[in-house]
Amino acid sequence: MKCETLFRSGDHRWLVFGQDPDRPANVIDTNQYVICNGANAMMLDPGGLEVFPPMMASLTHEVALEEIRAIFLSHQDPDIGSSLPLWRRICPPDVKIYLSTLWSGFLSHFDRGAQFTTIPDEGMEVLLGSDLRLRFIPAHYLHSSGNFNVYDPAARILFSGDLGAALIPESARTGTMFVTDFNAHIPFMDGFHRRWMGSTRARDAWLAAVSKLDIDILAPQHGLLFQGDDVKRFLDWLAGLDIGSGVAAMQR
Amino acid sequence: MNTIAADRRAERTYSTTQRADRLEARAGALLSDCRRAFHAFGELDELAENLRILSLNAELAAGRAGDKGRAVRALTQYTRELVNRLAQIQGEMNGLRTQTYALSSNILLGLLRLHLFERAADLVNDGSHPPSAMRNVNRAFAETMTAMVDTLDSMAVAVEDLARRAHGVEEVVSQSDSIATNIAIEAAAAGVHEKEFRTVSDTMRRYVDDLRKMIDEASECVRRAFEKAESLRRIGLDSLLGISHHQLTR
Ligand SMILES: [Fe+2]
Ligand SMILES: [Fe+2]
Repeated sequence: MKCETLFRSGDHRWLVFGQDPDRPANVIDTNQYVICNGANAMMLDPGGLEVFPPMMASLTHEVALEEIRAIFLSHQDPDIGSSLPLWRRICPPDVKIYLSTLWSGFLSHFDRGAQFTTIPDEGMEVLLGSDLRLRFIPAHYLHSSGNFNVYDPAARILFSGDLGAALIPESARTGTMFVTDFNAHIPFMDGFHRRWMGSTRARDAWLAAVSKLDIDILAPQHGLLFQGDDVKRFLDWLAGLDIGSGVAAMQR
Repeated sequence: MNTIAADRRAERTYSTTQRADRLEARAGALLSDCRRAFHAFGELDELAENLRILSLNAELAAGRAGDKGRAVRALTQYTRELVNRLAQIQGEMNGLRTQTYALSSNILLGLLRLHLFERAADLVNDGSHPPSAMRNVNRAFAETMTAMVDTLDSMAVAVEDLARRAHGVEEVVSQSDSIATNIAIEAAAAGVHEKEFRTVSDTMRRYVDDLRKMIDEASECVRRAFEKAESLRRIGLDSLLGISHHQLTR
């Protein structure tokens, strides 16, 4: 599995893991993120069961398991955190698990032993280590009804979960983790956003909140990351997109 | 240099993989033996009900025979007690089935986790990772395997319970068999009622044969399941012994 450093300032780091060459073709590709502040690390969306072995191998090159203090789950999907019971076995026993208050009872189906620290609908701010403030920003109904992004004001990175996600066929992969040609990238995210994202009101509210943030990198859970001007290009593109396409199937 | 590294890796892969594979093949067989046993026992309901109806009809016939039917009446009442015993065993078996299936699903889930930890161990065991990574994954594997061995212990107890129930049914079968023989003896002395009593004893013997066939099949499945549960436990324990103290604390 590939690992790239997205940001580094002293011992404050952002790492992205993904594009595992050995991944079975039927398992959708995911990006896993780790934020480190000294000897304190938080994993964002650690991934599904299938991803666990390569992710664990790749992660331990960079971060000691003892340093993982927290696991953040943006929402309830299996590609987000069905590996949770395995991570809990190899992380420190007091690892914090952050999750929307909506989903704790549901995720217990994956892992009945897990103790969740639930995130209220408004989101919350947490401290990683003694001085790194991270914000859990609500992104409800995009696509999950209890859904959060993570914003790091110091690194100016927004982990956007399924927002900005793209399903990229193997043939179109170039080896990079970043979008390099925004227009060429649109076809890979267009269908996903039209169908998975359901609420125009939620989309507009999210755009209003996120456009106030200073963002250098917008990091989705699938596909390529946006940086620099492509962040604004993505937000503008999403603002004009006709979403909720599944409704048409009910109106036949 | 490269060749040596590749060889060492192959060696390591051999030592760490296949534990879960060995368990999985046997666990699959164990679960299918249990399923077959419960399937065979599934006919118990119907056979017990047939036996109950037969005993009621026999009792009516015995009543019609007056004094000549007294012994048969006592035998049919005894048959009814056996039917109640069967119903009780059946009820216990239902509880046991729920328990066995819950244990089975724990075994399957444990296997899935063991496989994933095993794959992680293979990837981490390439010489480039810090020793703590291997230690962590080995510990996780050992903990999961320990839980698995505990579950297999419970499974062995459940299968033993199942064997006891099967033995209970066997007793009912042999007692029903001697009741059928006794009714046949009574029939010979029952004069005009002979034909009616003989029909009862023949029908009863047929049910007894069906019960015996059922219990033979179920007992065979239970016996095989028990052997597999035992051998699975041993593989689990061996594999725990294989993860040395050194590997967990290095
Ligand atoms: Fe999702
Ligand atoms: Fe996703």
